[in-house]
Amino acid sequence: MRLSQIPKYLLVSVLLVVGGLGGLVSAHLGRAAAHERSFTITAHKYAYDPPVLRVIRGDRLHIRLVAKDVTHGFYLEGYNLDAKARPENPTFWARHPSEQQDYKEVEEISFVANRTGKFRYRCSITCGYMHPFMQGELIVSPNYLYSAAVGVALALALAMPLIFGRPAAGGQS
Amino acid sequence: MAIANPIAPPAVSEETLQRPWRFDVFARWPWLKRLVRMRTFQFLAILPNLLLFYLFLIAGLFGTPVGNRNIIIVFVWILWWFVLITVMVPLGSRVWCTMCPLPFFGDWVQRRAVVLVHPGKSPGTENRFFGLHRRWPKQLSNIWLQNLGFLFLATFSALLVTRPIFSAVVFGVLFALATGLALVYRLRTFCNYVCPISGFLSLYAMTSTVELRSVDKNECLKCSSKACIRGSEKGWACPWNVYMGKLDRNNYCGLCFECVKSCPNDNISLFVRPFSTSDVILRGYDEVWKACIMLVLALTYSVMLLGPWGRFKDWANVSEVRNWGGFGLFAAGQALLALVIFPGLYYLSIRLAKWYAKADSIPTKELFLKYAYALVPMGLLAWIAFSVPLLMVNGSYIVSVISDPLGWGMNLFGTAEFPWAPLWPEWVPFIQVPILLAGFYYGFRGMHKVGRQLFSDPAQLYRSLLPPAVLLLAVTLVFLKLFVG
Repeated sequence: MRLSQIPKYLLVSVLLVVGGLGGLVSAHLGRAAAHERSFTITAHKYAYDPPVLRVIRGDRLHIRLVAKDVTHGFYLEGYNLDAKARPENPTFWARHPSEQQDYKEVEEISFVANRTGKFRYRCSITCGYMHPFMQGELIVSPNYLYSAAVGVALALALAMPLIFGRPAAGGQS
Repeated sequence: MAIANPIAPPAVSEETLQRPWRFDVFARWPWLKRLVRMRTFQFLAILPNLLLFYLFLIAGLFGTPVGNRNIIIVFVWILWWFVLITVMVPLGSRVWCTMCPLPFFGDWVQRRAVVLVHPGKSPGTENRFFGLHRRWPKQLSNIWLQNLGFLFLATFSALLVTRPIFSAVVFGVLFALATGLALVYRLRTFCNYVCPISGFLSLYAMTSTVELRSVDKNECLKCSSKACIRGSEKGWACPWNVYMGKLDRNNYCGLCFECVKSCPNDNISLFVRPFSTSDVILRGYDEVWKACIMLVLALTYSVMLLGPWGRFKDWANVSEVRNWGGFGLFAAGQALLALVIFPGLYYLSIRLAKWYAKADSIPTKELFLKYAYALVPMGLLAWIAFSVPLLMVNGSYIVSVISDPLGWGMNLFGTAEFPWAPLWPEWVPFIQVPILLAGFYYGFRGMHKVGRQLFSDPAQLYRSLLPPAVLLLAVTLVFLKLFVG
């Protein structure tokens, strides 16, 4: 990189940072107040119903897990939660996998959605052919990562002419 | 070369486009050249994979039907796929073809040798080949069969990646096809024109950071033996029918290194080069459609396999759910998207580009073919983003299945009961975002590089880039929504 190119790269970096920050700010401005939220998640081959949970950061979630056909798991990434439910059982079993090996029988799991973004909940008990792809989504807004990524993508699009510059005749731009 | 504005100074030449910096690996590390020149090199590279392949077939046919407990599913569709798409292709071009076991028996029956070379005469070569040694029909000498074959297999991908028996049968059929075609047709006909894996490797190898090329092309022009393509007593005729004097893209070089052995002028070397910079031109509609198909499949796989929607999984999972109507809808929708809708959107962007840039002197076909390279790095990086969670979430199956490859209750290394343990799955989106953004960047960069060849007026160049760039941005945003949003 030549010295003369530094302002160009500086400008591009500034654009990308502004794009990312713009995304973060727009996500932050769109945030709403937290509530108590209750969900009954029905697990069946090879999906969860509802497939997507949309909540707000700070919401306290109360989740009841029901298995419809065979035993299914519920491993919620990012929240250190794992559960399993058997068909026709009013209760299910849950644990914090990093802290305990054994499951405890519970009627619901309750936690505060304090991490933002998209988190998958996946089946953790082999339940059939498509088991590795059985998953749902917990989307905790404001989704800063997504908004920042969109902001950077848009900024990158705008910055392209700056990055690649004018085509010089017969040589590199 | 078409120049849109006749009074503008000349645009960048194709030769300049093809030649960024490159680093001669064989000159720096001669032991590597000695290694690939060994007659046993390729056999030794293939042998472990051949043995594994045999084990996979056995596991597929006789092992547990539970995919995540069977080595064929876990090793092929989690480990191999991840390593292939994220490491081998971007960093090693078609190095998988160097060690692929599928054509092994075909080569054997054609050459009647595993290691040695038979000098002699067979049409077009200086080697003695066996079998019928027929020419592949000219009408099929493209990658359309590979395009359609891959799309067809992708329609059954939910079965392929979860049913050991299905994977075993498909690999068995490919193995038999490779051998059968080698008996009838000359050289690696299967690899060149039929193998569905080879089809996408050929496309994405264009981005790779390595290339096998002649050191000095003038030397090739002076060479009368053309041993690289015709063979000699030191090496077999190029199985891919590639003449090194004209080779300027990675697409159809399978890195068998026979030319390194046979070149009488020691003029062929392995080079390291920047990522997605050199081979930036697609040369036919078959290649453009391959780029479209692959990008669309990355999208549909992301929806069907990694998405939360059970309906799509049920449609694709036809052998269990037996929803034939849903499966038909899924298959038709995927084919329509890959063969008509997405190529149509790309075509529309090119028509808009031509109109907006007032590029009347450039044929639409030329712009359509040349800007299509943008879909190559974008597609590869989308596939990498898709593959990251496969390994990070399901990688622990590798540890358990290694002790119990057939799911029969063995415990060879004491790890059979290793629990399913995703590796930092909450960080997957943080890895996927920069990969997708890099895909957008490299896609635009490739298009810009080719555009410089067509337009010397900057305003005209950027006007021509705008519509396809909007398409690239839209695709990036769709992937971001799926993975992170």
